[in-house]
Amino acid sequence: MKSAKTIPADRGLSHAIIDLFKQALFKKSFDALLIPVKIPETEAYSWVLLNEESLLDKAVPLPPVMPNQGGNALSHVTKHGNLNLKIAALMRPCEIRAVVELQKLKQIDLENITLISIDCPGAAPLSDYMADPEKIEKSYGILLEDWESQDILRPVCQICEKFSVSVSSISSPEEMPSEETPTTPFSSDLHIGLLGGNGKEIYAIPLTSKGEELLSNLDLESRESIEEWESGVREIQKKKIMERDKFNTTWTERLSGTDKFIDAFDRCINCHNCMRVCPVCYCRQCYFDSRTLRLSPQEMLTRAGQRGALRFPLDTILFHLGRMSHMVLSCVSCGACEDACPMSIPVAQIFTTVGDRMQKDFHYMPGRNREEILPLQDFLEDEWHEVETPRETGESSAGEAEKNA
Amino acid sequence: MPKAVKIKNSTDKGIVEMLGGLLQSDKIKGVFTLKKMNESGAVAYSLITEVDELEKAVPFYPFMPMNAGRALSTFTLDGETQEPIAAVLRPCEIRAFIELVKRAQGSLENFLLISPVCAGVFPLKSLADGSLEKNLSRYWESVENAALDPNTRETCQSCEDFIPVHADMTIVTVGAKNLEEGCIVILNTKKAEEFASGVTGQTVSEETETEGTEKLKKLRREWKETVFEEFERNGVGQAALIKTFAACLGCHACSHACPICYCTFCDFDSKTCEYQPVSFHSELEQKGGLKVPPGNIFFHLGRMAHMAVSCVRCGMCSDVCPVGIPVASVFSRVGDSLQEVFEYIPGRNVEEPVPSGTYKEQEFVEIGEQ
Amino acid sequence: MNSDSFPKIIGFLCNWCSYTGADLAGTARMKIPPAIRVVRVMCSGRIDPLFVLRAYLKGADGIMMMGCHPGDCHYQKGNYNARRRYVMLDSILGTLGLERERFGLWWVSASEAPRYAQATKDFTERIEEMGPNPLRDEIFL
Repeated sequence: MKSAKTIPADRGLSHAIIDLFKQALFKKSFDALLIPVKIPETEAYSWVLLNEESLLDKAVPLPPVMPNQGGNALSHVTKHGNLNLKIAALMRPCEIRAVVELQKLKQIDLENITLISIDCPGAAPLSDYMADPEKIEKSYGILLEDWESQDILRPVCQICEKFSVSVSSISSPEEMPSEETPTTPFSSDLHIGLLGGNGKEIYAIPLTSKGEELLSNLDLESRESIEEWESGVREIQKKKIMERDKFNTTWTERLSGTDKFIDAFDRCINCHNCMRVCPVCYCRQCYFDSRTLRLSPQEMLTRAGQRGALRFPLDTILFHLGRMSHMVLSCVSCGACEDACPMSIPVAQIFTTVGDRMQKDFHYMPGRNREEILPLQDFLEDEWHEVETPRETGESSAGEAEKNA
Repeated sequence: MPKAVKIKNSTDKGIVEMLGGLLQSDKIKGVFTLKKMNESGAVAYSLITEVDELEKAVPFYPFMPMNAGRALSTFTLDGETQEPIAAVLRPCEIRAFIELVKRAQGSLENFLLISPVCAGVFPLKSLADGSLEKNLSRYWESVENAALDPNTRETCQSCEDFIPVHADMTIVTVGAKNLEEGCIVILNTKKAEEFASGVTGQTVSEETETEGTEKLKKLRREWKETVFEEFERNGVGQAALIKTFAACLGCHACSHACPICYCTFCDFDSKTCEYQPVSFHSELEQKGGLKVPPGNIFFHLGRMAHMAVSCVRCGMCSDVCPVGIPVASVFSRVGDSLQEVFEYIPGRNVEEPVPSGTYKEQEFVEIGEQ
Repeated sequence: MNSDSFPKIIGFLCNWCSYTGADLAGTARMKIPPAIRVVRVMCSGRIDPLFVLRAYLKGADGIMMMGCHPGDCHYQKGNYNARRRYVMLDSILGTLGLERERFGLWWVSASEAPRYAQATKDFTERIEEMGPNPLRDEIFL
């Protein structure tokens, strides 16, 4: 097991982490850092790639909201080639997992990039923050200390047991986590543990040699065993898993049947915000924005005539189901989609319900492991025999859908 | 005084009745208007071909789920519609459609355009948070009293172009008493008269511009001036612009919701506007850091350069912004000034070329000779 | 702090008139401010407003657009379009308070070397008075 380091945190969490990065910057453990920054004189948080200490003073390691998914931000940095600079990126675990998925999709080049994850208590809904930033900042500050008040969080954060790295991955990094040991991004290089330190210290836990390298010339004390952190993580994980079970039951019921699915997207105006902010949706031109779905006026009138009415913009449900089929296996439940929806549709909760189930069926967890192949890019000759026999099917209610969808 | 038809029914129902009649008698093959989706209260634009479905239509519901000008452009992008279609659109939506037609993004042929004198729409979020339903009766009161409604979109509250142009039929609303009892349809064109010939109703004479519309125009203008002054105080300058767009994540939702931004593949979504490694290096070296994704303000200024001249101030951009940036306030302000310089009102006349696509040999003669 | 020299003025010059005029000023050994960095385009109509905006946002202290006099464009109409585009940029930047004085359009013909020298001299003085473009150091663009 790689030895963890402790960081004194008596002046507060943010301070501790920023000081660590200042040291690392000074000692050239990296050339540039990607981290959220609060823009002066505003309430806005933005990703910034920086190499200057004065900018670090404005950085906020864990903002109370997640306006831009870290996966999106990092993909912009390497989009046109590696910078050939040592870059460290501090992100929430779901953002790290999105980065790993994007790497599999060839949208991010992780060479020279050290991924740093951090224990994440969750994020508040963007709309709540915009309505009253001060109140949310205050509540979030308390949450970071006691990890108690879940109700300020987005629904998908309340059920997220993947907020840290699994303990078992520390002891055996080469092993794939099992069904018993839940979750784990073992996909970051370094993890910052916040739990268990009681406000006195936090932990820098290297997971790969890159992570070790970053810590190597820093002035930090080593700690052989960080049991307080491990048990802190396990405790929160247990609570979140219980919430997730309840969530799955509720949502499976809410979404069973075509009618219910369509109703869920009743208010949808087809603005495609959800797709735009989704880190996994990387296509420069989305299929659902392309020419392929264009129709002539006669074709549209014919379609309208089939059921008496045709909703505009066209193909709302097709967009959602289609997008689902394109990305839900890689959905990391980050909740960016739900934050971005102008009609307050619970997109993240819907996609998480489906994604969870599908990912389990394929024994796949997005972002858990950089080597794991995307399920649809691979196959085994001997699998899924159960779908080879046609099932009895009932009458489809897709017909009613067209005029309202 | 223009001819009008007074239908003995409330404004909403009167129009639905008229359109139902036209559909039934095959004079039109479809109706494009707002329709209620199920019982949930959601409302969406719909192309309706069956009279039964028309019963769910709510043509003047104060909500704009998408700019319908864009919808009509989508409908006629591959060619004009061969069948006559009646479309109920708000004035800014018609103007947006006309701006798109000028750019070869649609066709006006075979449409019967119907538009109300517009008292504005509620912001998108008011549907989900219930405030729309709550403030609905107050809205209709403001319509009758030709008053400003502070619950409508910012851009609506300062809009002076709320009387439709290019509409075959104009529906009287603002300042009209008894909208519940009589629906007055002003027939602006011969086409309108033809289509209205079978409608059950009283023939009357009615002016489009009335005391009520003048009153509202004045109120809107005053509000616009207040907004401008506020902008002059707090919105101008480099620092103010950066603060306004500080939260922007570069998702480009605003441009995709904008009816004028029709490009299937936007310049700002393309490689040209993204940073190569060398740009990251130089900015890290020179400034010590940069926002990611880069090119935020560039996108907004660039988009202004591309479309502000045709901005119809519909307000869709602000409504879809995930981080609540008042995009419409900035763009409509820039649009207003720019349109004044070119003495241009977007959508007023389909024959009038877009200023950025043409020139006059004798104009701005003082420029360049200094 | 961006320690680039000040001022840094980008000039977009059309090949046939203004660039030739600038060239003539050079061969005639006229004094031209070193602040001017010339980008040659075939016609002032080629100047995309995005070029001007990009230069400004990257920290250029001044941007000059130059072309043939109206009626003399080598491609007949390009400079008329350039004129409208400049008017548009001027309006957008003016409305937003983004120092529209840092931008300008000049018609300079192939033989007008002294005019080129004078225009660049006057504009450089104006920019020197205005000071560096604050966006040089701006991170949150």
